[in-house]
Amino acid sequence: MIAAALSRIGAIARKEFIHIGRDPRMLIAVLVVPVMQLLLFSYAISFDVKNVPTVVLDQDMTSASRAYLQTYRSTDFFNVKGSIDGLASIDDVFRRNLAQIAVVVPAGFGRSLARSEKAQVAVIVDGTEPNAAQLGQAYAIALNQVYGNRVLAEWGDRQGIDIAQAGRLEPRVRTWYNPERRSADFLIPGLMVVIIMIVTVQQTAVTLVRERDLGTQEQMMVSPLRLPELMIAKLLPWTFLAFVDMVVIAIVGIGFFGIPLRGSVVFLAVAAALFVFAALGMGLIISALAPSMESANIIALLIAFLPAFILSGFAFPLESIPPFLQGVSYLFPARYMIIISRGVFLKGAGFAELWPQLALLGGYSVLVVVIASVLYGRRAAR
Amino acid sequence: MASPADSLAIDARALCRTFGAVRAVDGVDLEVRRGAVFGLLGPDGAGKSTLIRMLATVLSPGSGDAFVFGDSVVHAHRRVTPRIGYMSQRFSMYPDLTVAENLEFFARIRGVPTAQRRVRAASLLESMGLAEFADRQAQHLSGGMKQKLMLASTLMHEPDLLLLDEPTTGVDPVSRREFWRIIGDLRAAEKTVLVATPYMDEAERCTDIAFMESGRIPHRGTPDEVKALVPGTLFELTAPDPRAALAALSDAPGVTSAHLYGDVVRVLSAPHGPDADALLGTVRAAGVAASEVRPAHVDMEAAFAFLAEQRGEDS
Repeated sequence: MIAAALSRIGAIARKEFIHIGRDPRMLIAVLVVPVMQLLLFSYAISFDVKNVPTVVLDQDMTSASRAYLQTYRSTDFFNVKGSIDGLASIDDVFRRNLAQIAVVVPAGFGRSLARSEKAQVAVIVDGTEPNAAQLGQAYAIALNQVYGNRVLAEWGDRQGIDIAQAGRLEPRVRTWYNPERRSADFLIPGLMVVIIMIVTVQQTAVTLVRERDLGTQEQMMVSPLRLPELMIAKLLPWTFLAFVDMVVIAIVGIGFFGIPLRGSVVFLAVAAALFVFAALGMGLIISALAPSMESANIIALLIAFLPAFILSGFAFPLESIPPFLQGVSYLFPARYMIIISRGVFLKGAGFAELWPQLALLGGYSVLVVVIASVLYGRRAAR
Repeated sequence: MASPADSLAIDARALCRTFGAVRAVDGVDLEVRRGAVFGLLGPDGAGKSTLIRMLATVLSPGSGDAFVFGDSVVHAHRRVTPRIGYMSQRFSMYPDLTVAENLEFFARIRGVPTAQRRVRAASLLESMGLAEFADRQAQHLSGGMKQKLMLASTLMHEPDLLLLDEPTTGVDPVSRREFWRIIGDLRAAEKTVLVATPYMDEAERCTDIAFMESGRIPHRGTPDEVKALVPGTLFELTAPDPRAALAALSDAPGVTSAHLYGDVVRVLSAPHGPDADALLGTVRAAGVAASEVRPAHVDMEAAFAFLAEQRGEDS
C-alpha cells in the first residue's frame, strides 16, 4: 500500500519537474528571478546613506572656514560636488537634484572662532527624500560635534586647560551584530524570506488550478490517487526548488555581500522547511479557491507580495505600522521567518532563543495545509 | 449492495443530477450488458456527458445510484475505478509531456507495474499508429492523434469497461473510421464500451443504443429494434427544388413525416399510406417538378428524426 502511494507521489513529482524543465518562463521565474531580485533589491533598497551629494557656500573665505569645509570632503558620507556663490543658488541646486545638502559658512565664522565665540554654520537639507535627509542631517550634526570638540580642545590647549579633565558626559552608542549598520546585513536575511514566499506561493497557487483547467484532475480522480498524496507530491518539487533558491541567496549574500552567518545552518534549514511548507500551503489554499489561472495568479501576487514586503518586518519595523496592520501581520508566516532568519544570520541565535517563532511556524504550516486539503477536497467533491 | 444481475456491466437506477435549475440527468435507468458496444446518442446538451461522468465516479449523482460490475458509484467508487477507463470529451492530457510520458504518467498513478507499462505502451502505440510520435509533445498532435492518445491512456490499465465521451467529435472522417475499428477490436477483446456520440451514423456500429434527450432516455434497444419503432415505409424524393417538394408533401394525407436530408426529401409514409407513384403524383399535382421517388432503407438518422418528431407531437 505504502509502496504504491510512494510510486504515485513519485510519478507526480517527476511530472512536475518535467513541466518546470520544459517551461523556460517557469525556470527563469524560479531560478533566475530570485537572484535578480536579490541583486536589485540589495542595491536599490540600500538604506545606507553614503556619498550624499552636497554643495558648499563659503561666505567667510578664511583658513578656518576652508578647514571646516574640508571635513565634509574627507568623509564618505558627503560627496561635495562643488561650491556655489550665493544663497539663492541652493534652491536651484536642490531643484535640479544636483545636491541634497548645502553647507553654508557665513562671513565672520573664522573671526568668531578666533575670538572663542560661538560660530554658526547652516546645514540645509532637501527634505523630499526623508530617509536620506534624516541620515544626512544626523551625519552633519555628528560631524559638527566632532569638529566642535576639536575646536574646543584647541581652545583649551591655548588656554592651558585640559578639557578632558572637565566633567563631561559623553554618550557612546554602539550597534551590536551589525556594527557598521550595513543595510545588506539587515536586508538579505529578510529578502531571502520574501523571495521564497513570492516564488512558492505563486507557483503552487497555479499548479492545482492548472490540473483542473487541463481536465487531468478528472483522470486523477479515476485513479487510486488520494488527495494527501497529490498535495504532498505537488509540494515536494517546490520545496526542493525553494531550498535551491535559499542556498543560492545565502551563498550570494555571504560571498558577494559579505553578510555573516553566525548561527546554526541546521536550525535555519529546519525553520525554512516549515516556512516553505506554510507558504506552499497558502498557495494551495489559493489554488483551491481561485476560479481560474489568472485569478490564482493575481490573488497569489497580492497575498504573497504585499504582506511579504509590508507586514513582515522586512523593510519597515513592525512597531512603526498601525496597530491594526500589526495584528494582520501575525497572519502571515513571513513575519516569524524573518525574525528567525535575522536571528540566525546576524545574532547566532538558535533553538533556545527562537523556539517561539519556530513553534508558531510549525503550527501555522500544519494549519494551512489542513485548510488547503479541506477546501480542495470540498471543491473537488464528486 | 451488489446488483443481482451479474451479466450487467452498468446498472443505473433513477440517476439524477441537477446543475442549478438545469436537470442535466433526469431519472435515467440504464442497463448495459457485458460485452456490449453501447451507443449513447443525442444532441449537445442532452445530458450525455453528465451521465457518463457519474458512471465514471468523477461526479456524484444528485439522487439515484448506478452499479458498475455490481459496485455502487456512490458508495464504492474505489472498487469501480480500477475496472473502468474514462475518456472525457475534452483533451485531458498534459500538452507539454510527450505521448510516451503521458502514457507512462497516467499508468503509474493507476498503479500499472513497470514491466507491463512498457509492453502495453509499445503495443498500444503500435496498434494505434502512434509509435512514430511517441516522443512528440501532446500539444503538437493532430486532433485525431490526440483522441487516440487519450484512448491509449485509458487502456493502459486494461479496464473491463470503457466510458468514452464523444471520442470522435471534431475528428476527421479517416480518424473516425480508424477509431471505430479500434472500438471493434475492444469488443473482440470482450471489453464493454459505452460511447457517447452526436453522430447518428455511428449508432449503426453499436450493439445497443439509447437515445438521450433533455436528461432522459426515451428510446433504447438494438439498432434494428430502434429502427423498427418507425412504422411505415421511407421514401427518398429527388427534386430540382427540394424545399418546394417538401412543402407539397408535409401535409399530404398518409404522410407521417417529411424532412430534408441533404438534397433529398425523406418522406415517411404511414402503413397502408401512399406508395412511390402516389407521392410523385402529389408533388407534381402541387406544380413542383420532381425527378424520382424511390423506397429507402430506414437508417438511424431517419429513425431518430422520426422519433424526435413524434415526441414533439406527444408533448
